[in-house]
Amino acid sequence: MNNLAKLQLTKSGELRHFLTPEGLDRIMLERILDTADSFVVVGNQEVKKVPLLRGRTVVNLFFENSTRTRSTFELAAQRLSADVLTLDIKTSAASKGESLLDTLQNLRAMHSDMFVVRHSDSGAAHFIAEQVTPDVAIINAGDGRHAHPTQAMLDMLTIRRHKGSFEPLSVAIVGDILHSRVARDQIHALKTLGCTDIRLVAPHTLMPYAIESMGVTTHSSMDSGINNVDVVIMLRLQTERMASAFLPSAGEYFRLYGLTKERLSQAKPDAIVMHPGPINRGIEIESAVADGPQSMILNQVGYGIALRMAVMSMAMSGQMQQRQTEAKQASSPTGELHI
Amino acid sequence: MSMIIRGARLIDPSKQLDQVSDMHVQGGRIKSIGHLAEQSSDLEIDATGLILSPSFLDLHTCLRDLNQIQKGTIASETQAAASAGFTHLCPSPDTQPCSDSGSVISLIKSKAAAAGFCELLPVAALTQDLKGSQLSNMEALAQAGCIGFSNAGYDIDNNTVLLRCYEYAATFGLKVLVQAQDRQLGDGHMHAGATATRMGLDGILVIAETLSISRHLQFMQHTGVSGHFNQLTSAAGVDLIRQAKAQGMDVTADVGIAHLCFTDTAIEGYQSQYHVQPPLREGSDRKALLIGIEDGTLDAICSAHQPHESAAKCAPFAATATGMAMYDMLVPLIQKLVHTGDLTWPAAIRALSCNSTKIAVGTSTSLTIGEAANLTLIDPSHEWTLDASSQLSRGTNQALAQQKLKGRVQLTLKDGLVTYKR
Repeated sequence: MNNLAKLQLTKSGELRHFLTPEGLDRIMLERILDTADSFVVVGNQEVKKVPLLRGRTVVNLFFENSTRTRSTFELAAQRLSADVLTLDIKTSAASKGESLLDTLQNLRAMHSDMFVVRHSDSGAAHFIAEQVTPDVAIINAGDGRHAHPTQAMLDMLTIRRHKGSFEPLSVAIVGDILHSRVARDQIHALKTLGCTDIRLVAPHTLMPYAIESMGVTTHSSMDSGINNVDVVIMLRLQTERMASAFLPSAGEYFRLYGLTKERLSQAKPDAIVMHPGPINRGIEIESAVADGPQSMILNQVGYGIALRMAVMSMAMSGQMQQRQTEAKQASSPTGELHI
Repeated sequence: MSMIIRGARLIDPSKQLDQVSDMHVQGGRIKSIGHLAEQSSDLEIDATGLILSPSFLDLHTCLRDLNQIQKGTIASETQAAASAGFTHLCPSPDTQPCSDSGSVISLIKSKAAAAGFCELLPVAALTQDLKGSQLSNMEALAQAGCIGFSNAGYDIDNNTVLLRCYEYAATFGLKVLVQAQDRQLGDGHMHAGATATRMGLDGILVIAETLSISRHLQFMQHTGVSGHFNQLTSAAGVDLIRQAKAQGMDVTADVGIAHLCFTDTAIEGYQSQYHVQPPLREGSDRKALLIGIEDGTLDAICSAHQPHESAAKCAPFAATATGMAMYDMLVPLIQKLVHTGDLTWPAAIRALSCNSTKIAVGTSTSLTIGEAANLTLIDPSHEWTLDASSQLSRGTNQALAQQKLKGRVQLTLKDGLVTYKR
């Protein structure tokens, strides 16, 4: 087992933390998608609750603001019947000088079963799972510019539900790759699921160094980037990128990299358009595309809840199993015979 | 007291010496070298299989005293340094308070003298409070015992101020030391490459180093100041120094032992113990640094010792403090490079002792009869485990903690006095 798999899986190979799709195999990613598929059905029922996490405590730890991700995690936990506590850490302990370590250890002492963590530092969720509270299931809800695995996997769910198999697909990811925590996880997931043509489209200022080492091609022009693709994933452009000299202006960005109807016509006729939201109309995408027939943007939101329910239920079950195994090992020293 | 060290491999590259011999030390000096079977002394050491060299001088270290004693004290860190074979240390000026006054310099020197493990030859601040705006009292600081001036990890953005720094240093023939990294481009957490990209960490490009080297070389050339670069990290940086030397410039450079041994991939999995500044770079850079040591482009190896308490490294990667506690690991790391054929003991000793001493004080200590007995005796085959009971530095940021290591200092002598004995 590679190190990232070791950290995220129990000894018997069940998910116990979900930090990044990197290191997980195709079978595990497909299991996540299959489980999410079953929860999509739950979302369509009149009574949307299932009792899988009844009696369990889920703590949403948002060290960085995110209304959308936070509310879908809350909703997902509630639909699984968990007790949910949401902490906006920016306005609480951290501002009083309490370290991340102390905050987490306090919450663990309250017998929390799962932390959903969003943090501005890359590797934060990894650090918590590895060094702080390995016995609490950790779901990464976004760390720095490293990973945002539930977003990436809900994108995979969207692609699979609308395109079927990943193998024959060409996928373009367009925009601020440099600062995107989603893009990296999308690449890992797409590759593991069998996609071989992944194209990144961005000006050099927004393209990370040596990203080709992840098995993608890079394009500085939209025309070559989205030509004949099956899927176009647009990334959100933070407006502060202009002030920090990554780009000259929103207008120039839209002219060169904005997704218009005309540009989209270079992709396959049945290509789908995705965006993690919230969208900037007229900056990275024009309304005619965002609201058009090829847009999957609102479908993604619905799938997001199902995908998060899937990951939360799987990690909770894996973590409980791990705890039981460890408790058993602790109570039966080797060599002692139990009859 | 007198001492005879018998049967050691004496290595002194400054004299092209590499032979098995005995050495007699008396009255703080080397009394004789050769076959001394007939002689006796108060203390006899069987050094068969061991290496005896001139003691080491460290061109870049942080001892943490005066105001960061949770990380280390002058007593604890100079003791750890003695256990790595050092007798002389050049602490960086980014002490707290900063080394920009004669009183701070005198205080840290006297603290080290009281502890009795190593002599400090401090590097003082080039500008007051390292702020890059006003010159420090360089002449007075030199009188107080500083061997040179540096602005540590802080850039001097204003070229006019930097020019004045060099001109003033040139007036008194003072040395300027540079930790070459452009501050703005260096605003990241690790080498900009495939590993940083995959881990989503802000990268630091090699040009952050080369831009800074080129800039300082121009000021050195313009003013004739004798310059020294601390902790080079990149192949391109080594090339710049090679070119400057070929042009006859009075310039020297060192490399941190970490950069000779590790690359950016060590950070995989957010290993904060490998979070260092300047950053660990790629395999090709590491190779170029090793070649630089071998061909003499890089004159010296420094420890870049930076001890920390455990909490400083226990956070998400970007929030952790930079640096490694290096003294406890230094000799095993050298031994590992020797074992893999990347370095030889004579080259290591030239870089840790002969050249570094020459850069700091103008002359090398050497294994010469009549010279002060500043000596390091190394057992390259001693196997041990680095843990709380064996480490001497107060720093818990030991990248090789709990690992089995090979190579250890057996004895360090400063002016004939034992400052470390295993």
